[in-house]
Amino acid sequence: MANRQLRATPPTWAGRLLKWFCPPHMLEELLGDLHEQFDQHVAEFGEAKARQLYFWEVIRFCRPYFIQRRITTDYQTRNEYPQPTMISLVMIQNYLKIAWRNLTRHKTFASINILGLVLGMASSLLILLWVQHERSIDHFHANGSRLYQILENQQTTGNDLSTTPTTPHLLAPALVAELPEVERSVHMTPGNMLLLAVGTNSYRERGCYASPDLFQIFSFPMVQGNPKTALVGPSSLVISEAVARKLFGRTDVVGRSVRIGNKDDRQVTGVFQDIPTNSSLKFDFVLPSKPYIKQNPQAPRWSRNGWRTFALLRPNVDIAALNAKMLDFIHRHDSTLTMVTTFMFRFEDTYLHSKFTKGQPDGGRIEYVRLFTIVAVFLLLIACINFMNLATARSAKRAKEVGIRKVVGAERAYLIGQFTGEAVLLTIVSAMIALVLVQCLIPLFNQLTEKQMAIPYDNPIFWAGLLGLALITGLLAGIYPAFFLSSLQPVKVLKGNSPTALLRFKAGAVLLRQGLVVFQFALSLLLIIGTLIVSRQMHFIRTKNLGIDRENVIYMRVDGELTRHFEPFRQALLQAPGIRSVSSSAEDPLYTNNSTTGVSWKGKPQTDNTMFFELPVSYDFVKTMNIQLVAGREFSKAFPADSTNYIINEEAARRMGMNNRNRTGGPAGSPVGQTMSFEDVPGTIVGVVKNFHLNSLRVAIEPLVIHFGTTNNTLLVRTQPGQTEQALASLEKLAKQFNPAYPFTYTFADENFEKLYKSETLVGKLTSYFALIAIGIACLGLFGLAMFMAEQRTKEIGVRKVMGASVGSIIALLSGDFLKLVAVAIVIASPLAWWAMHEWLQTFAYRIDIAWWMFTLAGGLVTGVALLTVSYQSIKAALVNPVKSLRSE
Amino acid sequence: MGRAYLGEFEELVLLTVAVLSGAAYGVTIAAELKQRTSRTISLSGVHIALYRLEEKGFVRSELGGATTARGGRRKRLFTITAAGKSTLAEMRQLRNELWNAIPNLSLS
Repeated sequence: MANRQLRATPPTWAGRLLKWFCPPHMLEELLGDLHEQFDQHVAEFGEAKARQLYFWEVIRFCRPYFIQRRITTDYQTRNEYPQPTMISLVMIQNYLKIAWRNLTRHKTFASINILGLVLGMASSLLILLWVQHERSIDHFHANGSRLYQILENQQTTGNDLSTTPTTPHLLAPALVAELPEVERSVHMTPGNMLLLAVGTNSYRERGCYASPDLFQIFSFPMVQGNPKTALVGPSSLVISEAVARKLFGRTDVVGRSVRIGNKDDRQVTGVFQDIPTNSSLKFDFVLPSKPYIKQNPQAPRWSRNGWRTFALLRPNVDIAALNAKMLDFIHRHDSTLTMVTTFMFRFEDTYLHSKFTKGQPDGGRIEYVRLFTIVAVFLLLIACINFMNLATARSAKRAKEVGIRKVVGAERAYLIGQFTGEAVLLTIVSAMIALVLVQCLIPLFNQLTEKQMAIPYDNPIFWAGLLGLALITGLLAGIYPAFFLSSLQPVKVLKGNSPTALLRFKAGAVLLRQGLVVFQFALSLLLIIGTLIVSRQMHFIRTKNLGIDRENVIYMRVDGELTRHFEPFRQALLQAPGIRSVSSSAEDPLYTNNSTTGVSWKGKPQTDNTMFFELPVSYDFVKTMNIQLVAGREFSKAFPADSTNYIINEEAARRMGMNNRNRTGGPAGSPVGQTMSFEDVPGTIVGVVKNFHLNSLRVAIEPLVIHFGTTNNTLLVRTQPGQTEQALASLEKLAKQFNPAYPFTYTFADENFEKLYKSETLVGKLTSYFALIAIGIACLGLFGLAMFMAEQRTKEIGVRKVMGASVGSIIALLSGDFLKLVAVAIVIASPLAWWAMHEWLQTFAYRIDIAWWMFTLAGGLVTGVALLTVSYQSIKAALVNPVKSLRSE
Repeated sequence: MGRAYLGEFEELVLLTVAVLSGAAYGVTIAAELKQRTSRTISLSGVHIALYRLEEKGFVRSELGGATTARGGRRKRLFTITAAGKSTLAEMRQLRNELWNAIPNLSLS
């Protein structure tokens, strides 16, 4: 029968650990004390906790005090107790000592190795931090796995699907009411700029209108107020801590009154913690959406998009089955909307997988994340290869050590352990130095990437990852040299032959070394060609004539009194010094976003579903933005009917079949004077503008309808060239005069434009830095190899010189070997680079052609740098006086 | 300085050895210190302090009898030596002198 009274016993493996490092004569009393304390702990806290405490207690015994004494006793007693194990502490001490002596004896090689590893690890650490940050975006919500965003697929011409996150506001409440799988749903506007004021203290802030469940679905913690009810009241307002501090100087401000948009007084009903930087949803205040929707005189329609909709699903919902129901959700409510389908997409994935083709997720930012993960691996690989190459090349120096060790009884496994251990140790040291380097560089890197990253020192996963990285790098770098070195036969090595002669016959090793150099340079070349093409493409975008002139244009928000008295304000501006022309539009004309299918004209086919971009503007728009007018005129005060007249671009005219009667059978002649209607408002086309880029250069120019808008919020001011200062002064003076309640802020059109290509610019900069680092590390390795080769061939060079070789021929001899490798690398890397960059360029509708000179330039650059690196050593070797190198034999 | 340096923790351990006269070994010392100072006391720390004290000659030790509670292992019992006692007395006197030398005793 089992003894039920069996006492709990401490974990034996922990005891074994203690036995390993503790001096043997102390073991009994220490184990006894530990056991006794364990029994007390079992009585006090229970067995599980006691085991845990026992474990930590044993770990605390791992101190230098005990280990040192263990080593000294081992020394004293080793004759009595021979320990033929490689992990005996004495042997480890010896390994460390030999490793240290080898490092300090060959300082150049040691520093090349360590520098290469440090650079490689530091850059991959930076990249991995960035990747980690990108991947963490939107992953902090407590309900993350059940959060979905509703996306809309709109069928466009040619049976293509365009996927947008904008949905009608009617969708959110309908989802909760009709689908049992949906627990909660919220709609919100993408972002509105409004003036928030307390007394004379006023700021323009970015916020949104949202339905009441916002703070229950997303984990944006509230510090004041009730997240369930804060957005229920029609006059409620929820603000961030930052805004509360700006407006009131403190955060306990529930119940205080804030004036919105200079007319509307709201009570603060809640204060939420500032949105973390790793959130893709960003807002500084939230207003209830209900009163905002009621303000709109038009009846709510399912075709009226402009809201983002999010849903919190119940646990364990079959998303495929739910999406089958979602497909015709909008069509079920409005039978006229046959071209629109909806589906749910995991919210956590929306940031990285934002691009859709034919309704299926197709990349997005994730491509850059993957790209840079690959770059990080490349950099590490290049550094590892340095290590491998130098270690094998220099194995001659350690061949004798291996021989002696084998003769006195070292087994092969111990030697492998010794050499890999050495490599791992070196990488761990490098990792520590890399960490310090990263800590120094991270402010710069943050500035570059516009993020707030920090090394997560308090995160055990980070340390585990870093250790893993060092271990993997160390193993990768050390395993080949370890196997190679440990395979040497002591008889051959110690026979008296020069070990270098022995190793030179190892053709396989040489081939591998050369292969690795080729690989390194191929990787560097890939990165350099990539950098070149990305920067050319960015240059192309920056300098391409968009058909719309962004130089010397200032943007300013139109709000408050300016909306009401826009025309007098505009007239006053036109009189002011430095200003050439003034207009306004409903959004940044360099980034037109709104589109509609609601355009009709005479002879429009029933099946035509063309998307037209729309841009509401005021007088002088074409003149202010320097757009070329092809026919007709632009909106003018002289024509009162212009409020329902239209200007279209050439593309729109082509799609409407107004330029070519033969092909499409549309109305004849020029579009000017033709009638069309936009969202059921009929009017006349008064002008046609030349195509200009409406949006990012990734997409082609789409048809556009420019119409007259009365509540445009972007003021466009063209200044006299070189008079920006005067123009800004006039603008500020008049803005203060017309709109005293609002602070004066402005942006420049060209700066706004740059922001459109922020991620591409960043990618360009990062790849160029990392390409530089890659070629740098590769050259470090080459430098080491060249140095080694020159050293090995000292005698050969001496003999050659004695026989009459010139300095030039010797340099050519030494450098030629390496240049051949670089040439092979160029041949391998060029087609790969061409393919990769061709794929990347496909994401732009307007792009540069890949030209042969880019490859020549990159190849020339790499060859030049390699030649420079090698020739330093070659020249040094060639200039040595042969008397010196041949003196002894 | 004829006398070996004594750290704060070592002094506490030495005092505890004196307090537990005859029954002082790792576990009892750790328990006593834990109770009196309400610090977290690790056995390894206590042991190192004891061995150091022994090397300095302030305590001596002998192996005591085995009990089943310890998995049948013997314990090392520590007793304070004359040198240890005199060091403690010296330290106490030095402290007293310093205390008396404080001009205004109403410290707060």
